Amino acid sequence: MNKDILKALTKRIVSSIVTILLLISFLFILVRLSPGDPTQKFLSPDFSPELKQQVMANFKLDQSVTEQYLNFLGNIFRGDFGVSYDYRMPVFSVIWQFLSFTLVFTSISFLIQIFLSYYFALKSIKKSGGLLDKLLSKSSLVVYATPSFVLGVFLIFIFSAKLDLFPSAGLKSLDFDSFSFLGKLWDYIIHLTLPLITLSLAGIAMFYKYLRDNLEEVYRQDFILNLRASGYSESTILKKHVLPNAVRPLISVAGIELGILLGGTLITEVIFGLPGMGRLMMTSIFSRDYPLVVGCAFVAGLLMIITNFIADLVKMKMDKRMIKGLMN
Amino acid sequence: MTRKKVTLLACFLILFLSSCGSENTNKNNRIVIGIPADINTFNPLFAFTVDEGAITELLYLSLADFRWNKEQGELEAFPMLAKSWEWAKDSSSITFHLRDDVKWSDGVPLTANDVVFSLDVYSDPMVDSRLYGIFEDVYTDNENHIDIKKTFTVKSDYELQINFKPNSSPDLIDIVHPVIPKHIFEKYDRKDLATAKDNFNPVTNGAFVLKKWDRNQSIILGVNKNSFLYNPDNIDELVFKIIPEYTSRLIQLTKGEIDLMETIKTGDIDDLKSNEKIVVESIRGREYEYVGWNNIDPKTYNEKKEIVPNILFGNRKTRIALTYAINRQEILEDYLYNYGELAATPISPIFKNDIDPNIKQYEYNPDMARKILKDEGWTDSNNNGTIDRNGTEFEFTLTIPSGNPLRPYEATIIKNNLKAVGIEVNIETQELGAMLDDIDAKKRDAWILAQYVPIPIDLKSYWYSDLRNTQLNFVSYQNKKADEIIEELTAHLPKDRQKELYYQFQEIIHKDQPVTFMYWMADIVGINKRVKNINITPFGAITHCWEWAVK
Amino acid sequence: MKIKIRNILLFLWLLILIFQIELIFGLVVLTGKYIILLFTDFNQAFQLIDFSLVDAILSVTLFVCIPIISFFYHKKLVWLKSSINFPAFVLIILFLAFCFAPLITNENPDFQKDLKVTKLLSPFSSVKVIRLKREEKNINSSSANFLVYKNKIIKQPFNESIIFANKVKISSSEILYMQKDLQKKIDLSKIEIVNGKPKIEEKTFILGTDEFGRDIFTRLIYGARISLLVGIGAVFVSLVIGLAIGFIAGFRGGIIDIIFSRITDLFLAFPVIYLIILILAMFGNSLLSVIFVLGFSGWMSLFKIVKSEVISAKNKDYIISAGLLGLTKFGILVKEILPVIIVPVIVNIIFQFSNVILAESALSYLGLGSGRSYPSWGSMIESGQQYITKAWWMIFFPGLILILTIFSVNDLGKRLNKFFNPAA
Repeated sequence: MNKDILKALTKRIVSSIVTILLLISFLFILVRLSPGDPTQKFLSPDFSPELKQQVMANFKLDQSVTEQYLNFLGNIFRGDFGVSYDYRMPVFSVIWQFLSFTLVFTSISFLIQIFLSYYFALKSIKKSGGLLDKLLSKSSLVVYATPSFVLGVFLIFIFSAKLDLFPSAGLKSLDFDSFSFLGKLWDYIIHLTLPLITLSLAGIAMFYKYLRDNLEEVYRQDFILNLRASGYSESTILKKHVLPNAVRPLISVAGIELGILLGGTLITEVIFGLPGMGRLMMTSIFSRDYPLVVGCAFVAGLLMIITNFIADLVKMKMDKRMIKGLMN
Repeated sequence: MTRKKVTLLACFLILFLSSCGSENTNKNNRIVIGIPADINTFNPLFAFTVDEGAITELLYLSLADFRWNKEQGELEAFPMLAKSWEWAKDSSSITFHLRDDVKWSDGVPLTANDVVFSLDVYSDPMVDSRLYGIFEDVYTDNENHIDIKKTFTVKSDYELQINFKPNSSPDLIDIVHPVIPKHIFEKYDRKDLATAKDNFNPVTNGAFVLKKWDRNQSIILGVNKNSFLYNPDNIDELVFKIIPEYTSRLIQLTKGEIDLMETIKTGDIDDLKSNEKIVVESIRGREYEYVGWNNIDPKTYNEKKEIVPNILFGNRKTRIALTYAINRQEILEDYLYNYGELAATPISPIFKNDIDPNIKQYEYNPDMARKILKDEGWTDSNNNGTIDRNGTEFEFTLTIPSGNPLRPYEATIIKNNLKAVGIEVNIETQELGAMLDDIDAKKRDAWILAQYVPIPIDLKSYWYSDLRNTQLNFVSYQNKKADEIIEELTAHLPKDRQKELYYQFQEIIHKDQPVTFMYWMADIVGINKRVKNINITPFGAITHCWEWAVK
Repeated sequence: MKIKIRNILLFLWLLILIFQIELIFGLVVLTGKYIILLFTDFNQAFQLIDFSLVDAILSVTLFVCIPIISFFYHKKLVWLKSSINFPAFVLIILFLAFCFAPLITNENPDFQKDLKVTKLLSPFSSVKVIRLKREEKNINSSSANFLVYKNKIIKQPFNESIIFANKVKISSSEILYMQKDLQKKIDLSKIEIVNGKPKIEEKTFILGTDEFGRDIFTRLIYGARISLLVGIGAVFVSLVIGLAIGFIAGFRGGIIDIIFSRITDLFLAFPVIYLIILILAMFGNSLLSVIFVLGFSGWMSLFKIVKSEVISAKNKDYIISAGLLGLTKFGILVKEILPVIIVPVIVNIIFQFSNVILAESALSYLGLGSGRSYPSWGSMIESGQQYITKAWWMIFFPGLILILTIFSVNDLGKRLNKFFNPAA
């Protein structure tokens, strides 16, 4: 048993590493074949052709792509992704400054999505077919079809420009450091309310719909009728039997949703001017900061693989519990 | 359950109350400037972008202070780190007398050695500083690195003589640059200066010191109370707040969260003007919009590296006809709300002494355009609505960069204008980086871009014939007479002669019309009325901020 | 109340016919003239072809023919008799906009004139239109004659012979008109006179105008084409890639399968939007590149469906025996598998379609969409968000249409899924 798990694990890790290597190699070659070069933004009368040559040589862009690629491969095995052209810092220390925000931001959003959708799904399944259920079901479909940037722009328009309730951009106030702990917390809350709504709403709608339909399906199954007939209380049936069955397929969806979240946070960060990975990636692409582009891709790919892995682990764990439950 | 809710409510109330107190502490003596992107360094060696330049000049002072004289239309130098200076009679050297009361923010006094070190590093090929390769008047080795022994004579800690090459034409502005601390940067290997930790946590000599830098959020500068520029009546703190989205920046300006922002779109001016709290100013004459006509044939140049006149735009008369056919005035009025003025030549109207008053605009005149085109042999011989000559239809692709909504607007007007004289235009949008690549390789026929002009006037980078060494001559303009003038202008000339040459150059370029000069655009700045003593010059709004005060 | 799809279609068709009878008649005449020209002077006629002409002729032909065809075949088209619901209604409207854009609106989507007057008008605002006399040119050939007629019927992005104004005052010899705060005048002799009076009309922009004074309604109608085109194009690219490599990987197996599966993992192991942004930002974005890049990034699920079906079918007895009989395995597989996979594939591409439309508009928001040369919904949203404080309608209407479209397409996908797999 343990051996099998170990074997599966190694296989998975190796294939993940290969995938990521392929990915960044692909990107590395792609960015270097693209038109434009990183020195363009310096273009000015002061920026003499000699200096351009110098800078290109310093960025090692005067070599052939194959040469650059071999160098790059050698370096990444030493864990060196190079120095960002723009930030003039090692790539990973730049990414780290932005990654932490994105991780926290997406995790909060993810939790909000799970909890709210769970809450609403339970509410509406209690009176299946009732007014609330119908309302939520219909609106969830519309909400799911709403692009996040349309939502975000309208939220800014209404709550920031017109009503002046929330700030339109940024993560914290300028006087942040002088605030008390609660003040700081509040500052974060008012700055992140609109971005969190923007990022989470579509996810809530999706999870809600999925969970509600699953719950309904489980309720319709025969063994629930049996349980009811044997006199179990509704809450026991729900907690012990319905929920585990309904939540299980949700986990694999959640793994995919995390990936979507990473993409969605990009738009949200752009709209609200937040210092996260998504925006870092965008700006690095537009300013042709090649090492940073590849570094970001590496980290993003790694994140996806890890989250999928965790989702699978959780699923396995739940399965085991189910098996045990059946045995007892 | 209810108890939980009550506790939760109480928590929120506490949070809310605690925040109410803090929200109103909008510090009085602080000015906040909204900028679209974060800067990447505080080191003037690598301050490539406009905002980096503006911020590093607040942190690091130079020997002299250049200010714009509006009446004369020229630069004037004032004492800064140097109390005074004198030129040798034959202009072969200059001697600076430095202030002796300037200290670096870590307490070390600033001396002539720092100045020598700075120029040494600026010109070092290992460093890739933004000024590498521009020191032509002083003694350099064959890699353009300044020869320290020959160039500098340090007479004392506060007296420095700089020697120039014989037959050179030195100018103060070429050697006066922000001074960096020797005792900090000499520790580094020159190669590693670009990534030095001290670039982010700088030791400075200017009117401001860096207080806090929140990456991609804000840069907070505090006033340097030890500086000789310090005035207790002026601002205490200057904040650069990074707000990438234009709309958000504008909302914050109208709400008073930021006090100043640049590059406001003309469409928003009316709204801002009706806002009591805000004044709208403009920086004029630094940038002109133009339609570039590739003077040479792209295909032959790229395939054989030969220069053949462009079949459509190789002829100066055709280019003049194109300028006649484009209704520049309409765009200026309708889109730019007259924030700008029609351009005739690349010499900005801010240089009042050098602008030739005899140059007449090619005013919008489609009939004239049709006539010229007909004289040049362009007629619609096959009745398809497009003029042609020897089997070549007058049809081309106009490339515009994505992003700025002015460009598609201009392109549509130009397309319609040219259609009216029988020319077919296809519009293509391209990302700016890729587009610059193509233009640089002379692959495009026609495009719309803006050109930023330096102070003082620089013609060589833009209009000199040598295509390999003029990085900004995108249209491949070549004129021998113009070359002669440009070459003569690189020397240090008496003002009258200079003026004469500038006049001649303007005449030539006006006649050749290598590009259609559209208009000088204004950079519109919105400023909260509480900001006082702000002086908008062609250098921009964010200069000499230590003089600003709050009402 | 249940309304049949057939009746709705008929109603909308009549609606267009009644409101645009003049235009449709003109276009029918234009088509006739063109056909005559084709026979008399083929070379000239060939030279005169451009997109707007083909578009106009095709749509008017379709408009006239569709009712006739459907009348003859109405017994076979069963779905026409099914009752309508809201998502289906939205899809029908979209379909009509897609096919008959030049008939539904009388305006060119890029038309702009007198920006001072027409800029950022709110919905239902109207302006005065002064019509100038057209200069009658000597017409000497049939093709030139046709050209003049064509320019009269098919709307151009510019028009020299009209002036927009806020206020108009007519005096005996000239017309005074206001363009915002600017007063201008024009000689009466230059103006078109109808029944002894200068011709001055009123023009209403029902959904307002954008920052360039362009009619938002018209742009929405034409935008439907671009957005749907991007969707269809990208889905088609995905379909071709997914089918092709799915078949090959499933059929050959072994190393090829492993390679393709790894590539699929590679695409799945990465927030694809980054890749799309990267390619579009670095290699330039245009209508075609957006279609291809979105297509290239969406084939993974199709690949998986196709591959697994091929593998399971490959081992079935009759396929193996067919191979023994000397029939080519590949041909049989294609014949066998297509009917099996058609259902999941259709459902998949419909969801894919809504994803692509959404992605295109998101890209447009970032400035990387199909570009501003075409009026796609995404590009309207992109420019709209810059004017949100002044002109909410610029982003509201395209945003609303986008939401409705995605909602309806998702609904269609779900219904099809239910229809084909009633058990699930």
